[in-house]
Amino acid sequence: MMTKLLRVRELPILVALLILLLLTGILNPAFRTGDGLTAILIESALIGFLAVGQTNLIIMRHIDLSVSSTAGLVSFLVGSYSMNHGGVTGGVALLIAIGVGATVGIVNGALVAYLGLPSLVVTIATLYIVRGIFNYLAAGITVTADQLPPYFSWIGSGEVLGVPDLFVFAAAAAAIMTLVLRYTRWGRDLYAIGSNPPAARRVGIPVAHREFGAFVLNGSIAGVAGLMLLSRFSFADATAGLGIELYVVAACVIGGVAIAGGVGTPAGALIGAVLLQTIAFALGALGVSQFWQQAVAGALLVAAIAFDRIVAMRSTHRAMRLVEVPV
Amino acid sequence: MRSGGFRLGWDKGIILLLVLLIVFGGMSDNLFLSGDNINFIIGDVSEVMLIAFAMALLIIVKEIDLSVASNLTLSSAVIGITWHGTNSMWLAVIAGLLTGSTCGLINGLLVTRLGLSSLAVTIGTLALYRGLCYVLLGDTPVADYPTEWTDLGYQPIPGTFLPWVVVPMVVAGLAFWYVLHGTRLGRWLFAIGQGDEAAVFSGIPLKRVKLSLFVLTGFMCGLAGLAYTIRFASSSPDGALGFELLVIAAVLFGGVAIAGGVGTIWGVVAAVLIWGFSRSYLQLAGWDANALVIVSGLLLLVSVAVPRVLSKIRDAAAHRTSRPSSRGGVTPPPGGEAEPLSPAVAGHDQGSHRG
Repeated sequence: MMTKLLRVRELPILVALLILLLLTGILNPAFRTGDGLTAILIESALIGFLAVGQTNLIIMRHIDLSVSSTAGLVSFLVGSYSMNHGGVTGGVALLIAIGVGATVGIVNGALVAYLGLPSLVVTIATLYIVRGIFNYLAAGITVTADQLPPYFSWIGSGEVLGVPDLFVFAAAAAAIMTLVLRYTRWGRDLYAIGSNPPAARRVGIPVAHREFGAFVLNGSIAGVAGLMLLSRFSFADATAGLGIELYVVAACVIGGVAIAGGVGTPAGALIGAVLLQTIAFALGALGVSQFWQQAVAGALLVAAIAFDRIVAMRSTHRAMRLVEVPV
Repeated sequence: MRSGGFRLGWDKGIILLLVLLIVFGGMSDNLFLSGDNINFIIGDVSEVMLIAFAMALLIIVKEIDLSVASNLTLSSAVIGITWHGTNSMWLAVIAGLLTGSTCGLINGLLVTRLGLSSLAVTIGTLALYRGLCYVLLGDTPVADYPTEWTDLGYQPIPGTFLPWVVVPMVVAGLAFWYVLHGTRLGRWLFAIGQGDEAAVFSGIPLKRVKLSLFVLTGFMCGLAGLAYTIRFASSSPDGALGFELLVIAAVLFGGVAIAGGVGTIWGVVAAVLIWGFSRSYLQLAGWDANALVIVSGLLLLVSVAVPRVLSKIRDAAAHRTSRPSSRGGVTPPPGGEAEPLSPAVAGHDQGSHRG
C-alpha cells in the first residue's frame, strides 16, 4: 500500500507544492494570513479548469490550442448579450457557453478524429479562426462590470469555507473527471488509446468516437471557462484569454500528464496549475523582481519535464534489472 | 503518380496560387505592385520567412520549435542591452546572433540528450526566453538605435525598390534550398523524417543532425531578431507575441507535412509570400485586419484537409485499404505503425504532398 502510494505520479509535485508554500510562509509572514493562498487559488482556477479537459486529449496524444480563443469569445458574447439586453440569466449564459464551446469542439473533433488530421495543426487553425471572429465582433467594444448582472462578481469573489468559488468549481471538475477516467469504460479507453493506438483499435475500442467525444467535451469546458473569465474580471474585451493555451498545456505537463500519452490525471493537472501560480506568487512574496518571475517559471517548467524524463528512464532501468535477476 | 497523367503537387499548386494572387492583385489595384508596396510586403514577411526556412527543416525531421518568437525577442533584447553597454552596433549584432544560437542549442540539447519531446521542451523554453526578455529589459524598451542602422529598415537598396532585409532572405533562401534539395545532408533530413530507426540503422548521425537543426533555427531567430530590431528601431520585451504559430502555419501551408519527411523550400517561400501579399491586398482593399486572421486559419485548415480528403477519395476509388506507411513519431513508436504519437504528429497524406 505504502509503495503503491509512493509511486503515484502526482506525489512529487504535491510535495514540491507543499514545500514551496511552507518555505514562502516561513520567509514572508504576510503570506501566512491566508490572503496569499486565496489569491493563488483564484488565479489558478481558470488554468486548472481548462487543464481538466486538456488532460483527456493529451492522454490520447492530442492537444487543443484553440481553448483560449473559445473562452475569450464566450466571455465576450455573454458580456455583450448582457450589455444589449440589460442582463443575462444564468441559463442563457450557460447555453451560450456550451453552445459555442461544443461547436468549436465538434469542428476540431471531426477534423481530427474522422478525417485523421493532426490536432496541433487543426487547433492552431481554429485558434486563429475563432480569435479572428472574436476580434471582429469585439472591435472597440468593452463590457464593464456595471453592464453585467451582479451574480458574476458574486461568483468571482465568493468563497466556500474560505476557498474561492472558482477554485471549488475547478477542483470539483478535476475530481469528477479523475474518477471518470479511472472507473468508467470511457475513461479507461482514453488511457488505452494513448498507450498504444493500434492495439486499442485492434481490441475494438472506438478510437475515433472517443477522440471526437473528448474534443467536444474540451470545447464545452473551454466555453464554461469563458464564464469563469467573465466572473473573475467582470470585464470583457478583445484581449480576453489571449495566450493562455500554453499555460494550460504547461500545467498538464508539470502535473504529470505526459505529452507522449497514456498517463496522468486531471487532478494532477490541477495541482500543476496551482504550482505554476504558487511559483509566481512565492517569487513575489520573497521579494524577487516581477521581471524574473516568468523566466523562473519557464526554467522550472523545463526542469520539471527533464526531471520527469530522468525518473522515467531510471525506473525503466530498474525494471530491466529486475527482469534480468532470475537469469 | 499512381494514376499517371498530370498531377499538381501541393507546392506547385501554391506557387500557382501566388502568381494568380499577384496578377489579380496587380490588375485590381494600382498600388498593389508599386515599388513602395512591394518594399513594405518584403519587410513585413522578412522575420517569418527567415525563421520558416529553419522551421521547415525541423518539421521535416519531425521536431518542432515553439520558442522561436521568444528567441527572436530575446535576441533583440540582447542587441538592445549590448548597444547600451558598449555603444557598438557590431558587437550588439554578434551578441544577438550568439544569443539566438545559444537558445537553439539549449532546445537541441534537451531534445537530443534527454530524449524529450520537442513540443514540451519548447513550450517550456518559450516561457523561459520570454521571461529573460523581461529580466533584461524590464518594462523600458530600447529605442535609441543609431539612424544609420535603422534607416536600413525601410530605405531601399540604392537603384532598386527592395529593402536591405532582402539580402539575408535571398542568401538564406538559396542556402536552405541548396542544402535541402542538393546535398547528402538534405537527403538525410528526408530519411530521418520518413523513419527515425531506419535512418539510424543506415548510419545517419541522427542526434547530431537534429542538434544542428535546433542551433540553426536559433541562429535564424537571432537573424530575424536583428531584422525586427532594425525595422521597428526598438527592442521591447513583448514583441512578436504569438509569432511562433504564424511561422508554423506558413511552413505547413507551404506543403511541409507535419508527419515529417516531406517538404520543399520553394513551397515555404510561396506560402510566406502568399500570406504577405494577401495581407497587403486585404489592407489596401480596406478589409478588417481580423479578416486576415480568419483567412490565415482557413488556409492552414485547407492546406491539411484537402490533400487528406483527396487521398481518401483516391483510396476509396481504388477499392484498396490504406497502405501501411512508416510514419513514426517524435518519440520512437511502440507500435511502429502509422499512428499519431504526439499531437504534432498524426495522419497526413505524404504522397499528395510530394507532387
